[in-house]
Amino acid sequence: MTRVAYYPGCALKERSAHLERPALGAAEKLGFELDELDSWTCCGAVPPPSEERIMNLVAPIRILKDVRDTGDEVLVTICDFCYNSLKRANHRVSTSDLDRKRVNAFLRENQPKRDYLPSTEEDYRDYLGEVQVMHLLEYLRDVVGFEEIAQSRSTELSGLRLAPYYGCVMLRPEDEIGLDSVENPTIIEDFLVALGAETVAYPYRTVCCGSYLSVSFPESSARLCSNIISSAAEKGADAIVVSCPLCFYNLDSRQKMISELYPGTKSIPILYFTQVLGMAMDLDISDLGFDKHYVDPEPVVEKALGSLKGGGSR
Amino acid sequence: MAEGADNETTPRLRLDREKVRGEFGKRLDSLSEQHILACYQCGNCSSGCPLAEEMDLLPSTVMHLVQLGQSEAVLNSRSIWVCASCLQCTVRCPKGIDIQKVMDVLRQMALAEGIDHFGPDQVDPRNAAEVPQPGLVSAYRKLST
Repeated sequence: MTRVAYYPGCALKERSAHLERPALGAAEKLGFELDELDSWTCCGAVPPPSEERIMNLVAPIRILKDVRDTGDEVLVTICDFCYNSLKRANHRVSTSDLDRKRVNAFLRENQPKRDYLPSTEEDYRDYLGEVQVMHLLEYLRDVVGFEEIAQSRSTELSGLRLAPYYGCVMLRPEDEIGLDSVENPTIIEDFLVALGAETVAYPYRTVCCGSYLSVSFPESSARLCSNIISSAAEKGADAIVVSCPLCFYNLDSRQKMISELYPGTKSIPILYFTQVLGMAMDLDISDLGFDKHYVDPEPVVEKALGSLKGGGSR
Repeated sequence: MAEGADNETTPRLRLDREKVRGEFGKRLDSLSEQHILACYQCGNCSSGCPLAEEMDLLPSTVMHLVQLGQSEAVLNSRSIWVCASCLQCTVRCPKGIDIQKVMDVLRQMALAEGIDHFGPDQVDPRNAAEVPQPGLVSAYRKLST
């Protein structure tokens, strides 16, 4: 089985465990293993705010340097924040001589001493941006191939109308991320079509959900999310499909506040793309983490499983 | 326009050479690695900003004010804290200015001046117990010292 180095990030180990778990199971069925790094830290979540905040690059670059040192060339991550933070830090050291020197100088002097890590003090090699950071969706598209997924899925999710939601950090900024078009992305649509689902077009799929404002101005996030949800529901979506833990939280749990502030907003289940993949790959329903949702996804799940019973199974 | 109405709500800007070409603009340019004067006020950033309606200064107005060296007006604005760093303005700027980065630097400058906007004590504990960690980490990194 092909293995690929995998960085989970903090959210996926607890609050967003239902994003990770189906991914691990589905990967196995697709013939590759997401091999979690032996040791990892927080990626920092956001890139440095300014040119002088070089310290904010230390965490992501240390992670990437460890990956390179173990001989891996590709690092897969699932969380959009981790993807953005790691990929942009990587871009930074690849393109800025000064930053590369400063971060490496710091890391060389301040290597963490842990009894489970080999001491590398003498043979420190500068990290030059060698590792390729990939989003799991990107890995599925470019390495596994959506066609291959369409061939190996167990269930065709026909009849499901799903609205892809991209949010912001998975795609932007375009010149540093380059995953897909920032104005008209198709990667989630293509993925869902490969699983046999129908996708719903609506105008809010790349409009921000409020991101971290959920912590500082929850009402602002509720307003943005009510626009997204209403728009997708109006176009007849059964569920919205996301890949970011924060988008999931803002769109799912925030629906309680939305129903109070904007009465009449339709309630709609939110699914991680890995859960949709998990359903198509016939993973055990209990492994998909549907109990962690605020809006019950049961109607969608039933519809998906109905298509299984209805002869969609290959 | 009603007579004098504008004067009551919009304070007059005092422009002088020292302010317009002062340290503020230079420092902003250097910290953000952007060229603020490249902005020609097309308004694309403001029209695409999902949070513009909650801002006291539109993103394009922030850009205009920083071009004129009006540090006090922007550092004390609500806009810099309302920005969710979604990068819509950045990817749509026809002049290639990373406007989100400018917002980041303005926050950093305001925090350095002691305008600490947000801290753990202001988070609703029920919220903190549920929000995925990237939300908490970025809020603290962006909005507090």
